[in-house]
Amino acid sequence: MNADTRFRVNSPDVTHEIIDGEGVIINLVTGNYYSLQAEGAEIWSLLANSTAVGAVVEQMTHSYEGTHSTIRDSVLQLVSQLQQEQLIMVSDELRVPAAAQSPHRQTNGNRKRPFQAPVLHKFTDMQELLILDPIHEVDAAGWPHKKTS
Amino acid sequence: MTSSHTRPLPIMNARSTDVLASVADDGRPLAFFDEMHQSFRLAAASAGTVDRFYRLGGYVVRLCFAGDALVPVLSAALSHMAAAAVEPDLTICIWDSASTGVRMPPTPWQQHYAVRGEVEGYNTDRVYTVYEHESRGLSMLDNGRNLAVLWVAEPEKIPYWVKGSPLRTILHWWMGGHGRQLVHSAAVGTGDGGVLITGKSGSGKSTTALACLESGMLYAGDDYVIVSTDPLPHAFSLYNTAKLVPQRVDTFPRLAAYIDNADRLEDEKALIFIKGTHAIHLSPGFPLKAVLVPRVNGKRDTIIRKASPAVSLAALAPSTIFAHPRGGEAEFRFLARLVKRLPAYVIECGTDLAQIPKAITDLLSGSNA
Repeated sequence: MNADTRFRVNSPDVTHEIIDGEGVIINLVTGNYYSLQAEGAEIWSLLANSTAVGAVVEQMTHSYEGTHSTIRDSVLQLVSQLQQEQLIMVSDELRVPAAAQSPHRQTNGNRKRPFQAPVLHKFTDMQELLILDPIHEVDAAGWPHKKTS
Repeated sequence: MTSSHTRPLPIMNARSTDVLASVADDGRPLAFFDEMHQSFRLAAASAGTVDRFYRLGGYVVRLCFAGDALVPVLSAALSHMAAAAVEPDLTICIWDSASTGVRMPPTPWQQHYAVRGEVEGYNTDRVYTVYEHESRGLSMLDNGRNLAVLWVAEPEKIPYWVKGSPLRTILHWWMGGHGRQLVHSAAVGTGDGGVLITGKSGSGKSTTALACLESGMLYAGDDYVIVSTDPLPHAFSLYNTAKLVPQRVDTFPRLAAYIDNADRLEDEKALIFIKGTHAIHLSPGFPLKAVLVPRVNGKRDTIIRKASPAVSLAALAPSTIFAHPRGGEAEFRFLARLVKRLPAYVIECGTDLAQIPKAITDLLSGSNA
């Protein structure tokens, strides 16, 4: 990954929504779901909009109070987690949405807010509803087995 | 950093959702649906038919049973929504092999099941097919004909919770194509409208809903209801059931006499048909005014506080989506639209249950706004 690397949401396996600055992300394959607040939701929105990683760092530095290296490290860590959770994938798409072109979007008011490192909240309690075992063979009647925990 | 809120589980060898994405209908799913329907007709010719009509989500749904073995099992939860026999919007044909002697046709697929029972290759834009592991049966829907088929091997193998929320898969699929959404929520209300009470199993939905029912509030369901958003958010009652963990039964003594499975509470939650206990408070539905996310606070008093729409979406969407085969993007978009139109609150439920309905009633009347 370098500053020019762009990502895309891992759809259709992943669906997401940002409402009032908070993000809800669901991995429809694993059953895991996630929430992101404030800075995390903002970074997610930029990434989902094909903004290059370097431009995401610039945008966040422009909007928030914090050192460039602190913000860069936080962005890179979140990107790494989102990749690990298979929520985003490197995009090889050349076309860049217009909204992602400018690294310096309007800040929220004139004063910068202190930067808080984003936290990706992960919930795994829905896996119990993904109940059938796709790995093992079917039973004598031809039906799949229930997954063993 | 990542914060994990439950114990981490290994990622299973799941298949990508695109294996269930719309594929060209190559005729095999429809041909197998027709085989299933033909088997139902054989069963009906052998055992006779029993028709039941219900108004669900504003639509007329006809259940056509071959024989009567499954009638009490699948109709009790819907009985409060019984309707006159008119031209139905959806017909569900239902048979079992044990009582009719008619077997399910041989499955033309091998072991191609996704994690929620969807049969791969047999789910298209038009035809839906799922193995119902809880009942050991098969549900199919042909959207083109508004016709569904449910087969089970033995009525006795249907678990109590399916009796409490029968035909959920087929109704979820069909309603989704008709501007409705089954949601994993309780719904209670007053003359001012109602609220969805949403959260995963064990979050306090049933206790909150039953505390409201006992106080005289309107009750549309404690686990699943149907919701529409057009023109305004509205909840429709679906099942007149309540499920309670046995330890909670003493909290609601008036319900105790109506427990359907009182002899099996060592292994099962208590299943209660509200139509027998509080029929006057059962509501076919009401306009929705808010989404409530319950939390048990362990204190005496109940408090309602404003929450973000994302909190209600996170409570509402995963348990709705993953409880239904083929649940995914469409359901998520529907629920996102819903939460954007309704204020969200966390209700911190205290031990003094009488405070819960009062807090919700005050919220609906605007007196605690």
